[in-house]
Amino acid sequence: MTEKKTPLLDELETGKWPSFVTEIKRAAVKSEAAGELLQVLERSYAERRGHWKHGGIVGVRGYGGGVIGRYVDEPQTYPNVAEFHTIRLLQPSGWFYNTKTLRTVCDIWEKHGSGLTNMHGSTGDIILLGCKTDQIQPIFDEFSEAGFDLGGSGSCLRTPNCCVGPGRCEHACYDTLEACYNVTNEFMDELHRPMWPYKSKIKFSGCANDCTSSIARSDCSVIGTWRDTLRIDQDAVKEYVANKFDIQEMVCDKCPTKCLSFNAETQELSVVGEDCTRCMHCINMMPKAIRAGKEKGATILIGGKSTIVQSAFMSWVIVPFMKMETEDDFEPFKDLMRRIWEWWDEHGKSRERIGETIYRLGMTKFLQGIEVEPVPQMVFRPRANPYVFWNQDDLDRSGTALDGSKL
Amino acid sequence: MVFKMARGPADPEVKAKVLEYLAKVQKAKSRDVAVAIGATKSDVDNAVKELTAEDLVEYLYITTTFICLKGKVQTPD
Amino acid sequence: MAVLDQGPPHYKKMLPPIVQENYGQWKYHEIPSPGVLKHVAESGATLYSVRVGTPRLVSIDFIRDVCVIADEYCDGFLRWTTRNNIEFLVSDDAKLNPLLEKLEAEGLSVGGTGRSISNIVHTQGWVHCHTPATDASGVVKAVMDDLYEYFNTMKLPAKLKMGLACCLNMCGAAHCSDIAIVGVHRTPPRINHDVIRKGTEIPSLVASCPTGAIRPDPKNKSVIVNEDKCMYCGNCYTMSPGMEIYDPKNDGIAILIGGKTSNARSAPSFSRMVIPFLPNTAPRWPETTEAIRKIIELWIANARKGERVGEWVERIGWEKFFSLAELPFSDMLIDDYIFSRETFRTSASFKY
Repeated sequence: MTEKKTPLLDELETGKWPSFVTEIKRAAVKSEAAGELLQVLERSYAERRGHWKHGGIVGVRGYGGGVIGRYVDEPQTYPNVAEFHTIRLLQPSGWFYNTKTLRTVCDIWEKHGSGLTNMHGSTGDIILLGCKTDQIQPIFDEFSEAGFDLGGSGSCLRTPNCCVGPGRCEHACYDTLEACYNVTNEFMDELHRPMWPYKSKIKFSGCANDCTSSIARSDCSVIGTWRDTLRIDQDAVKEYVANKFDIQEMVCDKCPTKCLSFNAETQELSVVGEDCTRCMHCINMMPKAIRAGKEKGATILIGGKSTIVQSAFMSWVIVPFMKMETEDDFEPFKDLMRRIWEWWDEHGKSRERIGETIYRLGMTKFLQGIEVEPVPQMVFRPRANPYVFWNQDDLDRSGTALDGSKL
Repeated sequence: MVFKMARGPADPEVKAKVLEYLAKVQKAKSRDVAVAIGATKSDVDNAVKELTAEDLVEYLYITTTFICLKGKVQTPD
Repeated sequence: MAVLDQGPPHYKKMLPPIVQENYGQWKYHEIPSPGVLKHVAESGATLYSVRVGTPRLVSIDFIRDVCVIADEYCDGFLRWTTRNNIEFLVSDDAKLNPLLEKLEAEGLSVGGTGRSISNIVHTQGWVHCHTPATDASGVVKAVMDDLYEYFNTMKLPAKLKMGLACCLNMCGAAHCSDIAIVGVHRTPPRINHDVIRKGTEIPSLVASCPTGAIRPDPKNKSVIVNEDKCMYCGNCYTMSPGMEIYDPKNDGIAILIGGKTSNARSAPSFSRMVIPFLPNTAPRWPETTEAIRKIIELWIANARKGERVGEWVERIGWEKFFSLAELPFSDMLIDDYIFSRETFRTSASFKY
């Protein structure tokens, strides 16, 4: 490979933050494609525009996704990145790895691809960045042999992901790692063979801190919570006091429902359980003294997505509390998801995320369609207009005859 | 080809109807195929799964995923 | 023979022994120093996690390097976070300081915990996306270089989570970040009729537009764009390279602030636009780094302890924020898209 200059990109090798340019250069030592990527990128920096095209059917036999076709717009100038496709691999839950597994990924990718990766993509997959079309099937075959599988792309269940959960967090209200693994395996067809109006995502967060940002970026957000009252260890509270931690200012005053009170004299912290909304603030502040209740599960929220097309939506509550138990194989959750997807698959327009379908047709229709009873936890506040669409059943139940008798 | 989590074999009749329908159109969403041939969506999806494994049908991503007969639709190159 | 649908590698094989032994039995955690988490289990077992920033786009050699470190100090176990940081998992406390020294010697960046800025979640940009309005990795590098002092210390009022999306499709979770950097196209696609005639499937191209702004032009064997309907998403460029969405003179960056996804204290919230446009000054985007630094310094100077950017702005009021920040307010900052009304002030009380 001839050494070409990259003066603009070189400026991004200075400074304290680790440099992606240095990483591309490292890959370029072994891969001509990575070297050419650097040239294309230098040109983008000079011209302030991208040079990649989408398109071309690329894939693996038996799968409808997992590979994203990418082509440079001047293949004659840059023959080594004329085809520069992305491969998505399902990541282990919580992005835990042993080094043997990571080295396997590196070895296979070194043999067939550019040697560049994203650890990880925003959805959660291991992203392998840049390979030729004729390498896709061999890459899959080798990864399959080594125990890996493709992630999702297109109008399918996208790769689910989860927070670190019970692996290393005291806040986890259910086993996010197992839920993610179990549910991903359950819905292999939905993930690998796109059959829906558009993409659909699931993210599992163990508590309301929502470290996977599930509420903002997944169609189904599974957020850990509890039903009973948080637990306070008064001895640990006194320790915080001894360490000069200002419980009144940092915890009680910031509690959104003011359900916590601190008695400075007795150094006791008390909670009005029924006023608590389980936001996690006090637990975050005093993890040694306050913990979740004992009756744990998850809140299921639906509809989150980014801006395109109908604006960004945040997921909203569908099931305030659901048990998420490994013992029953997460069956209530899976059953709910099947009903939700079936309704969306039937009513959704092409390229409509489920939140947009629900918004277009109305929550009432959605709830009836998936057979979920309305509860006040689903809304911040009830409607401010009288335009209820009454059905005959409701009329029969509530109407009265002129003599006052039931109809 | 081994599917680790197979859902049972697809109905050969549905598979034939899917092929017949896809021959008449450029591309389609599998829901539209189901409506057109009078089958359930899940039967069509299962048929498509086998047909793609047999290299007769392919998935086509045009900002949403369609299905089409293998090689029928050209994408930009 | 290749097996289909075997799913992800099993996570249980990836967990270090201390995690397997104390699975679901963690009691509390502390942050003894920036970038170091100390988790203590009911059993008394202690696990240190050392957080290291990465550029997300990494070579296999980088991964192999961190494997060597993990083998030496962590019995061969490590993990990645949702924000593209690595966490070295140390179960033997005698190895903690040697690991920190090793990381320092290797030039790796330890930080990103507690009241600090964590890694910026970002997209592909010019490196690999087909519709970017700006680069992703380069802007992130420039901003993180500038804000590095807030990565390896914990002196901010609260945690600071940033996101970058390289076009208006806003991949990544930029729309709910404390500070969001969003690449913006500002002009409709330029149609190259020759390219379209040569090999574009017109029906697919028409179908690709989410707002129905593209219609066929049979006479020309091409298409027409209704520019009033176009929202510059670039989906049409996905279908045909004859729909050029990139525009080097007009593409650039918008800044949105005040979003969060955690439920702590206040409900999750969207980021709101405060600067509609900054130029794409590659390779180091000085206008962008300066604008972000100014906002962060204002937040540091004015926020109460524990207040995230959005909580601070909501407390003082957005009108107050604009005057404090000396940022011009314009019609571009007033929502005129679908759900705009909820942002209009329906109250006669406000500040100046």
